[in-house]
Amino acid sequence: MKRDFFIFFISIGLFLVIWEAYYWFFIKNPFVLAPPSDVLITFSQLVIGDPKFAESGFYIPTDMLYSLYHYVLGFASAILVGFSVGLIAGWSKTVERFLYPLIELIRPIPPIAWIPIAILLLKLTHTAAAFIIFIGAVFPILLNTMYGVSSVERKYVEAALTLGATKTSVMLRKVIIPASIPAFFTGLRVGSGVAWMCVVAAELFGVSQFGLGYKIQLARLYHSPDVVISYMLAIGIIGLILDRIYRAMGNRLLKWRRGFVVE
Amino acid sequence: MSDALLQIRNVKKWFNSKDKRLMVIDGVSFDVQEGEFISILGPSGCGKTTLLRIIAGLEKQDEGEILLRGKSISGPGQDRAMVFQDYALFPWRTVLGNVLFGLEIRKIQKKEALEKAKSFIKLVGLEGFENSYPHELSGGMRQRVALARALVCEPDILLMDEPLSALDAQTRNVMQAELVRIWEETKKTIIYVTHSIEEAVYLSDRIAVLSKRPAKLLELVNVDLERPRDRFSKEFVNLRAKIFKLIQS
Repeated sequence: MKRDFFIFFISIGLFLVIWEAYYWFFIKNPFVLAPPSDVLITFSQLVIGDPKFAESGFYIPTDMLYSLYHYVLGFASAILVGFSVGLIAGWSKTVERFLYPLIELIRPIPPIAWIPIAILLLKLTHTAAAFIIFIGAVFPILLNTMYGVSSVERKYVEAALTLGATKTSVMLRKVIIPASIPAFFTGLRVGSGVAWMCVVAAELFGVSQFGLGYKIQLARLYHSPDVVISYMLAIGIIGLILDRIYRAMGNRLLKWRRGFVVE
Repeated sequence: MSDALLQIRNVKKWFNSKDKRLMVIDGVSFDVQEGEFISILGPSGCGKTTLLRIIAGLEKQDEGEILLRGKSISGPGQDRAMVFQDYALFPWRTVLGNVLFGLEIRKIQKKEALEKAKSFIKLVGLEGFENSYPHELSGGMRQRVALARALVCEPDILLMDEPLSALDAQTRNVMQAELVRIWEETKKTIIYVTHSIEEAVYLSDRIAVLSKRPAKLLELVNVDLERPRDRFSKEFVNLRAKIFKLIQS
């Protein structure tokens, strides 16, 4: 554990040193790139709301809230739709056959390709940003849930039947859903990763006038690479935290799998 | 005759594959009395598990019928519970959660259900393991959970499909003795599928001996031996030999 920590700091430290050196040897132009020493100062000023940046609208906490708002809106609807459609499609072969061509056609379209339609349809609104995020996250959740449901072992269903669970609703609630939670969680984590990327992409294209992604784009126009990189850093950190939250939730909920699954 | 708990009447079953129709059960009939421990014995792949699954309502016979208290069986029901060969415990539920499953479905009050579940966990000798998950238990312990999970539902008939075949020989002997004890305490009607002659003789009041596929009833053997039974007594060994010859012929 202590050793891991050590390696962690060496790895990050070395990267920062090379970056710093690269800047001072080859770039030396604060309008093109910023060295990590500048970025760290700018980042902390952006976080605490130093008037130098806050006056022109750059304040990471506010932008973070907007981005999280887009994320929650899009991701929650993706969970809702992905889980329920996945459940039905995994349960019923007919529904699966019906949906399969549709899913396979739409899925390969990158979420970014939906941005023009989102803007035309929903204008430059939070809903438009949420829509892009929804498109990105819904398929991993849907497909994993569907896979989880359709691969529930027959023996669990039969055991439940002989214990009296002859109603479909009871079977779904007590057997099918708990048995497919692990697959659902895989979908959730993959979906969340995609959703967070889509947040940035959607805001970058100006779907919404707020948020971390939008501010990156704005900072580029102001020729402030230190601000750009600070916002990138914020995006990375929040993405990491989100993943950790889902991982912790999964471990808590999937206690019963510990022992035969290596996470 | 007609007041038997379960009546199996000329049951026939075929398996359909692409181009073949394979007969697995060829007109089996026998009665099961209330409170009796009856084994269905036959060589591997003879269709005895299929017969049990038909009784459970998990599969449908093609001909004949099965009457439980005079009523025809048409699907799974709360009057029959099954213990499976591979336990089929719900891995996402603890021991207690597994045992509570049937009671939740019967919408038994929480407090009452908890008490009942705990008493059955005690009955199968798993006190102290209530909060363990199935993957933390040994094979013998898992089968005890499966037994408690089925018994707690208080079915009219307990169906057991080679429940001990996945266990090592020693654990199996211990579990057989346990099973007899539990059966004597609960006075359940048990239909027990096995391919082991010794196991059938050790456990049962009567043994329905089936032939190779397609399964026909060769004989209903009465086991008039005092319990607890001695596997090495002369009568025990003789009965084993008799059944062995019956199956071979």
